[in-house]
Parts: sequence; structure tokens; C-alpha cells
Amino acid sequence: MFARLLVRLLRGSRGRLIVALVALISGATVISALLNLDLDIERKLAQEFSTLGANVVIAPGQTMQTKDAGTAAPSLMDQAIVLSALKQVGSADVVAAAPYLYIVARSAGTPVVIAGTWLDETPKLDPTWKLDGEWIASREDQTQCLVGRDVAKQFHLKQGSEISLEYQRRSAKLDVAAVVDAGGTADSQVFVNLPVAQNLATLGGEIALVQLSVTGNAAAVGDFAARLAQALPQFQVRPIRQVTEAEGELLGRIRLLIVSMALLILALTALCVLATMAALAMERRMDVGLMKALGGSISRVVGLFLAEVGVLGAAGGLIGCIAGLALSRWMGERVFGAAIAARWEIFPLTIALMILVALAGAFPLRLLGRVKPAVILRGE
Amino acid sequence: MARVVEIEGLRKIFGSVRALDGISFSVEEGEWIAIMGPSGSGKTTLINILGGLDSPTSGNAVVAGTDVARLDESGLTRFRAEKIGFIFQQFHLVPYLTAVENVMLAQYFHSTTDENEAREALKRVGLGDRLAHLPAQLSGGEQQRVAVARALINHPKLILADEPTGNLDEVNEELVLRLLRELHSEGHTILMVTHAPAIGRMADRRIELEHGRLVQITELSTK
Repeated sequence: MFARLLVRLLRGSRGRLIVALVALISGATVISALLNLDLDIERKLAQEFSTLGANVVIAPGQTMQTKDAGTAAPSLMDQAIVLSALKQVGSADVVAAAPYLYIVARSAGTPVVIAGTWLDETPKLDPTWKLDGEWIASREDQTQCLVGRDVAKQFHLKQGSEISLEYQRRSAKLDVAAVVDAGGTADSQVFVNLPVAQNLATLGGEIALVQLSVTGNAAAVGDFAARLAQALPQFQVRPIRQVTEAEGELLGRIRLLIVSMALLILALTALCVLATMAALAMERRMDVGLMKALGGSISRVVGLFLAEVGVLGAAGGLIGCIAGLALSRWMGERVFGAAIAARWEIFPLTIALMILVALAGAFPLRLLGRVKPAVILRGE
Repeated sequence: MARVVEIEGLRKIFGSVRALDGISFSVEEGEWIAIMGPSGSGKTTLINILGGLDSPTSGNAVVAGTDVARLDESGLTRFRAEKIGFIFQQFHLVPYLTAVENVMLAQYFHSTTDENEAREALKRVGLGDRLAHLPAQLSGGEQQRVAVARALINHPKLILADEPTGNLDEVNEELVLRLLRELHSEGHTILMVTHAPAIGRMADRRIELEHGRLVQITELSTK
């Protein structure tokens, strides 16, 4: 009989209940979209920040001995040791990694900084670079280089030009594959594949730095750096704080915004339900008076109405959740340029929230428990 | 014969108004009592107290062995569900429930529902073909007969009828009165408030109230 009464109640007041249902669906749509966004935002932000380039650096330790490398005398690391440790610790979270060796060579008698690296990794480690020309696809290519904007200007270079580099008594001639506009120190450097720099400086198997781009939030990057540091105790392994902290700060701000919005939407939904239920409670005073006169206990009568509201909240939550997933997908595409993945745990969470909001908004129905049947049946 | 109602020194005061002022009388099982009097004489207040819808200010009101004056709200609720059958002048059916569901509602609050029993109760009052009709689809007389079926479904000790024919035309009034006569002949105890002397004369006794006081008890038939 309870279910039968519930169905009759829902059908009997469907006009008013539809208003409450629309409010609940609207609330649930936005809430579920925000929750979905919130749960997926960390992954999305990590992806976004991974496109900003390197966020972990391996450098020689403080006690490292320096090798005389001509005009430059940097601390150096054994390439084989570092890369072996990286292979052991490395995981799917490592988006890109490349060793670096910097030397100061000369071109046409003028000093110029040469950065030897794996040029096939450069697009992932320095994705913000603007190129006039083509990336170099192979780390084995010893015939081409990338030149910074300032170097190109100084030596009148463009794509296809040739640059001659001299280091002590060794030299190399390379074709310019592209001119780099990096907006930083890279604009005054020449980028060659690592063997070119190592051969010029006769530093085979030596590197000065390794840059890594690791996906994940600030904590995950920190964890990865700590594991790598354990495997390479003789070197310094450190996250680049500007990137990881910016990510953490942005995540915190977005989360605060999402939570604030969600609370506001919940409050507005509850108010809308409250207004509808206040009108419904006035309509139902007579029914409640009669039910109590027939021997209906307060808990049974009010429980019936609250169950009705609970069903409404669950229905609103379910429908809103489906719409919310679509909304979050759309928001993801607009904000991040990729769809936000559907998180199914949103369903029970949103439905539970909507039931709670509906019950909170049903406060006027709870007041019906105070109705005096004798007063109501007299028509007062 | 057992006493179904026994009231003594019953008072009900609303602010400065004495709705009931020291009423005492008793009702035997199977009696039909007509309560009469002008408006404001305390008839409905008396019915409400006997039905557990209201509590007296002082005095005793024992109905089917229960002193309603001593019951708290939940006790009164159980008392109404188990011992009283109400028939109201305004019918008071739940508008979104069908005829049979209105009858089942009383079963639901009493204990468990039995749709077949509810259908039988409606057939008994001549509404076998109106089971699935909503109150708005029924005439006033039919609605009141649904109310009668609802009042009887839990086999109450006492049927309280407040102007049960007050809103009916002559034909439907006669139908409802015939039902009440049948119930009386089957041994049900009925207390009925009425303004109509002709209806009052159908009862075994007539109790007349005025300004909250019992002014006269008239024996109308001998058993």
C-alpha cells in the first residue's frame, strides 16, 4: 500500500512536483558536471602542465669533480649511469627525457653556446617553442641543428643555411633545420644532437644535465623525483618548483571555485524545492488532517510525504547526472580541448546529494506533522 | 449489555468559551444515539473528544474501555485507528485515491491492507461498480457511502457520524440512512450528530445539548 500511496501522491500533485523536479534536475546537472570536472581536473591539469615542458632536472651533485672542457668547466655526469638509473625508475609517467651537454664554441670567431641534446625529444620538452623550419626527428642526425633567434640574427642564418662550429681544434658544419623563437636563453643557443657536442668537446659519454617531463600532480612529480634521487644518490634530482607549484596553486583555485559553485547551486536548488513544497504543504493540510483522524501516526504520514520527496530527489539526481556528464564533456572540450572522462562514482554521489537537498527543501512537509486533525476537519 | 461510552463531568474550554460544561452520560453497546442541539452547543466538540481527535479540559471519557482523557498523542492515534469509525459531513475522502484505495487507507493505518475486503465493503454499500473511481468522479451520496465503507472496514467499537447527511440530497440521504439503520440492526454502536429532527427520531435515544450543557435525554425506542 505504501508504494501505491506513493505513486498516487506523485501523480496527484504532478503539477507542483514537476516544478521541484525541474529544479532538482537542473541542480543535479550542474553539480554532477562540476563534480566530474573536479574528479578529473587533476589528471587534466597534469596533462596540461606536462605540455609546459620539463619539470624534473638531474644535475651533478655538489661534490662532483669538474672536468676541464676548454672555455667551459661544468660539473659532469656519466651518461650511462644516469640513463640506466632513469630506465630503472622511469615509468609511464615520464613523457619525455633528454640529456644535455653545454659547451661554448665559436662560429666565425664569435663565442656561441652549443647545447647538445636528443633533438627528437625537444618538441615534448620545449613544446612552447615557435619554429621557423622543421624539428629534427632523429637523435642520431649529426648534420642538422636548430639555432636560436638571436644567433640566427647575429650570423644571418635561416632554414637551410650552414653554420660552422669550432671548439679548440675541432670543428663541425651543420645545416640549419629551423630557427627557434623560445622567448628565453634558448634564443641565443645552437641546439645540436648530443654526439655532435660530445665529439667537439671530446667528452664522449659525459653529460651536464638531464631534463624530464613527468606527468602527474605536484605530489606525484615530487614522489617520482624522490625515487629517482634514491637511485642516483651522487646526483641532484629536483622538481622544477615553478611548474609544480603553479599547477598545485591553480588546482587549489579551481577546486575552491568548483566547491563554492556546488554549494551555491545546492542552496539554490533547496530553496526552489522549499518554495514548491511550502505550496504543496498548504494543499495537503486537509489530507494530513484526514490521515491523522483515520489513525495515521505522524511518522507514517510524514514519512510517506518525505519518501515522495526522496523519490523526486533520486529521479532528479539520476536524470541530472546523465545531463551533467554530457555537460562536463562539453566543458572539458571547451576548457581543455579534450573530453572529461565520465566518472561513474558521480552517480551515487549526485543522487545522494539531491535526495538530501530535496529532503532539506521539504521542511514545510515535516511541519505537517503538527496539523491538528480536529482543526483541519472543521475547515479552519 | 456492555457500556461502549461512559462520560462523566466532561468539560472542554477554548479560551473563555465553555464548549462542554460538565456533560455526563453513557451509551450501551449496539445503541444508536442522536446528538442534537443548536450551532455552538458543543455537539462536534463532544464527538471529537469521543473520537480521540481532541482532549477534554477535565472529566472522564471512557470509550470501549479506554479513557481518552489520559492518552497522549500517539495513544490517541492508535485509539482512532483501532476503535473509531468516522463519517464526516464533508465526506473527507483523499482526492487522489480511488474509492477502494480510500477504504484501504484506513486498513493501512490500522494494520495491513486487504484489497478484497475493501472491495467487499464497497460492494456492501452499493459501490461495486465504482471501485476504481476517484472521489471527483463520484456523486456526493456515493462519496458518503465510500466514507461509510471506510468507517466500517476496521470493525470499530464506535461509529461517530457528524451530520452524515448534511450535504446530501433526499435520495442519497435515504441511501445513507438505510445503511446506518442496517449497521444499527447488526449491532453497531452509533453516535450521530444531526440537526434534522426526523433523522434524530430514528435513534434509540436523543441527547440534546445547549451552550455546552446536556439539557435533555429522550428515550425514543425500547430494546
